Amino acid sequence: MKKLIVALLIGAMTASVLTGCGGSKASGVASATSDISKVLRVCLASEPDHLDPALNSTVDGASLAVNSFVGLYTYDKDGNLAPALVTDTQVSDDKLTYTFTMKDGLKWSDGSDLTAKDFEYSWKRAADPATTSDYGYLFDIFAKDADGNIQVTASDDGKTLTAVLASPCAYFESLLAFPTFMPVKKEAVEAPADHETNPGSWASEAGFVTNGPFTLKEWKHNESMVYVKNPYYYDADKVKLEEIDYMLSSDDTAMFSAYNANNLDLIDSAPNDELANLKGKDDFYVADTIGTYYVGFNVNSSLFDGKTPEQANAMRKAITYLIDRQIIVDNIGQTGQIPANTFIPNSMSDGEGGMFKENTDSYTYPDEASVGYYPIEVNIEKAVELLKEAGYEFDDNNMLSASTPLTLNYLTNDGTGNIAIAQQIQQDVAQIGISMDIQQEDWQTFLNDRKNGNFDIAREGWLADYDDPVNMLEICAPNGDDSGNDDMQLGLNPTESAPKWDEYIDLLKQIKSEADSDKRLAMMHKAEDMIMETGAIIPLYYYNDFYLLKTNVSGVYCNVFGMKYFMYAEKAV
Amino acid sequence: MAKYVIKRIVLAIVSILIICAITFFAMNAIPGGPFNSEKAQSAAVKAVLESRFHLDQPVWKQFLIYMGNLSHGDFGVSLKTGRDIATTISEAFAVSAHLGLIAMVLALICGIIFGSIAALFRNKFADRLIVFMATLATAVPSFVLASLLLLVFCIKLKLIPVWSSYNPNYILPVISLSLYPMAYITRLTKTSMLDVLGQDYVRTAKAKGVPIISVIFKHALRNALIPVITYVGPMTAAILTGSLVVETIFTIGGLGSKFVDSITNRDYPMIMGTTIFLAVLMVVVNLLSDLVYKLVDPRIKFE
Repeated sequence: MKKLIVALLIGAMTASVLTGCGGSKASGVASATSDISKVLRVCLASEPDHLDPALNSTVDGASLAVNSFVGLYTYDKDGNLAPALVTDTQVSDDKLTYTFTMKDGLKWSDGSDLTAKDFEYSWKRAADPATTSDYGYLFDIFAKDADGNIQVTASDDGKTLTAVLASPCAYFESLLAFPTFMPVKKEAVEAPADHETNPGSWASEAGFVTNGPFTLKEWKHNESMVYVKNPYYYDADKVKLEEIDYMLSSDDTAMFSAYNANNLDLIDSAPNDELANLKGKDDFYVADTIGTYYVGFNVNSSLFDGKTPEQANAMRKAITYLIDRQIIVDNIGQTGQIPANTFIPNSMSDGEGGMFKENTDSYTYPDEASVGYYPIEVNIEKAVELLKEAGYEFDDNNMLSASTPLTLNYLTNDGTGNIAIAQQIQQDVAQIGISMDIQQEDWQTFLNDRKNGNFDIAREGWLADYDDPVNMLEICAPNGDDSGNDDMQLGLNPTESAPKWDEYIDLLKQIKSEADSDKRLAMMHKAEDMIMETGAIIPLYYYNDFYLLKTNVSGVYCNVFGMKYFMYAEKAV
Repeated sequence: MAKYVIKRIVLAIVSILIICAITFFAMNAIPGGPFNSEKAQSAAVKAVLESRFHLDQPVWKQFLIYMGNLSHGDFGVSLKTGRDIATTISEAFAVSAHLGLIAMVLALICGIIFGSIAALFRNKFADRLIVFMATLATAVPSFVLASLLLLVFCIKLKLIPVWSSYNPNYILPVISLSLYPMAYITRLTKTSMLDVLGQDYVRTAKAKGVPIISVIFKHALRNALIPVITYVGPMTAAILTGSLVVETIFTIGGLGSKFVDSITNRDYPMIMGTTIFLAVLMVVVNLLSDLVYKLVDPRIKFE
C-alpha cells in the first residue's frame, strides 16, 4: 500500500510538473509575428461582454468594435467624422432621406462581398427588440413601414442604401460611425443553432467574420485576445500593424505593472495615487470626451416636505454654491478635468457646426462671464442666502442654527475617486453646518437604490453616446419613456415641492422633431435651463480620458466618445 | 464499506439540493438585477429579455424551471455574455485546477518533508528555521506575497513578463498559491509526528532494531499523516477552484474571479453554476479524504 501511495504521488507530481512546464518552455516564442514592431500590446479593460457590435454597450467594447468592424462612416486621425465605406451621401431637401453609395469591392474578412444589403440586414437586426441591443433605441429616429420595420432599403445591385428618418436628425451621420450601426454578416450571425434566443453567440469565440482592420484570432477568456490584420479591410494598405494583443484585466495595478515592465504599449487606466507622478510625462495623454460628472438630488426626498417648489429649488442650489470643484479636479480627478457649471458638457456640439456651451446673439447663460449657470468659485454667502429663503436659520458666523438642522444622505457606488469626491462634498457642506452621511454600495445595489429614489443626493455621470445635447437632456426623461433614467425623480410621483414635469417631456419631443436648427438650438437651451432651474443636477466637472502610450508608438487616436483607434499605429523599435 | 459510501452519496445529494435552494432564493432576494444599467432599457427589449430568461415568472417557478433544466445537465447561459455556463466553468476550472494541482503537490511534498525534519530535529537549528519560515508564510496574506513576487521578479529583475498573450507564466502564481498550505502542512506534520514518535509502538520498533528510515516512513509518518489528510481534503477543493487575488494580480482566467464577478453582475445562472460546482467538488473531496483515512489507517471504522 505504501508503495502504491508513493507511486501515485510521484506520478501526479511528474505529470503536473511536466504539464506545468509546458507554458514556460515556449517562452522563447514572443508571438505569432516575430517582428515586435508590428505588434501593439494594449490593456483597456477586463473580459468584454459582447464582441457583436450591435450588442456592445461599453466604451471599452466600442474600442474593440472600431478596430474590428467599420461602419459607413468612421473617425479620422484628427478625430473628425469621415466617410469610410461610402463614396457619396445624398441628403434630401427635407433632411429625411439619406442615400449612400457604397465603395466598390468591399469584402468581409472571409473574402466574401460586403454590400448595402448587409447594412440593411444589420440595421434591421439591431433595431429589432429580439436582438436585445441596449442601443436599439437609437433606431427610433427612423421612419417605420406598415409592419413596424425601420425604413432602410438596399438597391438590388447592393450599391446604394436608402434610409428614411421620421424627422430630421442633426446627429445621424455621427451615428453611422457608432458600433450599433456597424455591419454584421447574416450567414455568420445565423450560423449558431441558438441564434434566435442568444443573438451574440456567433461572436462569443475567436474566428468570427468582421469587416474592420483586425479580426480576432485567439481568445483566452479573462486573460488575452489576439487580433490579426484583416487583409480584406478596405484601407488595409495603410495598416502597418500585423497584430494587436489585448490584456484582459480591469486591475489598475496589474496593467500598470505590465506597462512598466514593458509588456504593454498602451493602458487606459492607472492607480489613482500614481496620477500625480504621471501627469506631464511624455507618455501621458489626455483626450477630450463629452460627458459630465455630476450629483443629482432626489426631488421627492423627504428633505423637501412642506417646502414650496421655489424653496426646494433654493435648497438644492445652495449646495451647488458650496462645492469646491477646483479642489475636486486638482486633487481627485488629477488629469486636468475642467470644473463644470452646465449640465451639457463643454465639448458638445450645437448641431450647427459650433459648440453648444457658448454665449451667442440668441442665447446668454445666466452667469454670462463664466458661460454657465453659476461661477465656479465657492460662494458661501450665496448658499446661506438661498437656504434662508428656504426657511433655514443661521447664526452670525453663517453656521446653521440648531433649531433648523439639515442632514443629507449621499449615495455613491464603490471606487476610490467616487468616495474621495463624496468626502470632499461632505467637508464643503460642513462649512455652514450641514451634515452629510455617505452611503457606499456595490454597483448593482447602487443602481437599484438610485433608480428607486432611495437617497437625498446621489453620484451621477454620463458620457455621451453621440454628439448632440439631446443625449444629455433625455437622461431627465422619465423611466421607460425614451431612454432616460430620471434618477432625480423629476416629475415622478409629483409632490407639492416637485410638481409634474409634462412641459419638459413635451419640449423634448419637440426638439426631436424640429427641422429648423436655430429653433432646435433655442429649445435645447431652454430645456437645460429648466433642468438647472430645479437645482436637482449639480455638475462637478467634465470628463476627460487619459491613457499611457509608450513614446515609440505613433498614430493612435481617440474620438470624443473615448473610443481608441489603433489601425494606423506605428511602432519604432 | 459500500453501504457507508452509498449513505454518504445520498446525503451529499440532499445537501447539494439544499444549497441550490438557499442560493437561488438568496440571490433573488439581493437588490439589483442582471439587466440593470445606467440608462433605462426600452420597454420592448426588457420584455424580451425577461421572458427569454423567465425573469417575469415568480421566483419559485423560476427555481422549478432551473432545477428541471439542471436535471438534464443544462446549466443555461450567462445573462451577461450569452456564453454557455458549463463551457465557461469547465474552461476556467481547467486553468485553475492546472495551477492548483501543481501548487497542491508542491505544498504536500515540501510540507511533509519540512514537517518531518522539524519533528526529528526538534529544538535544533533546522526545526527553528522551519518553524520561523512556516509562521512567516502563514502570516503573509497572498495579495502581499503575490505583489511582492511580481515586483521583484517581473519589474525589478525582469525575469518573467507580467503578462504575455503567448506564454503565460505559472511559476509565480504557483508559489503564491502553495506557500500558505505548505506552511500549514509543515506545522500539522510536525505536531502530529512529534505525537506519534512518542508512542509505544515506535519505541518498540526502535528497540527491535528496525532501521530509523523504516521507523519513520513505515511506522511514524503513516499515522502522522491523518490530520494532514483531514486538512488536504477541503484545501484541495479551495485551491483547485482558484483564488481571486492571484488571478487578478497575474491576469489568469481561472474560476476564482467567476464566483465574485457573477455576484457583482447578478448573473443568476452563473452564480448557481459556480456554487453547485464548488458544492459538488467539496462533497466529493471530503468523501475521498474519508476513504483515504481508511486506506492509511485500517483501525478507522466506518459507521
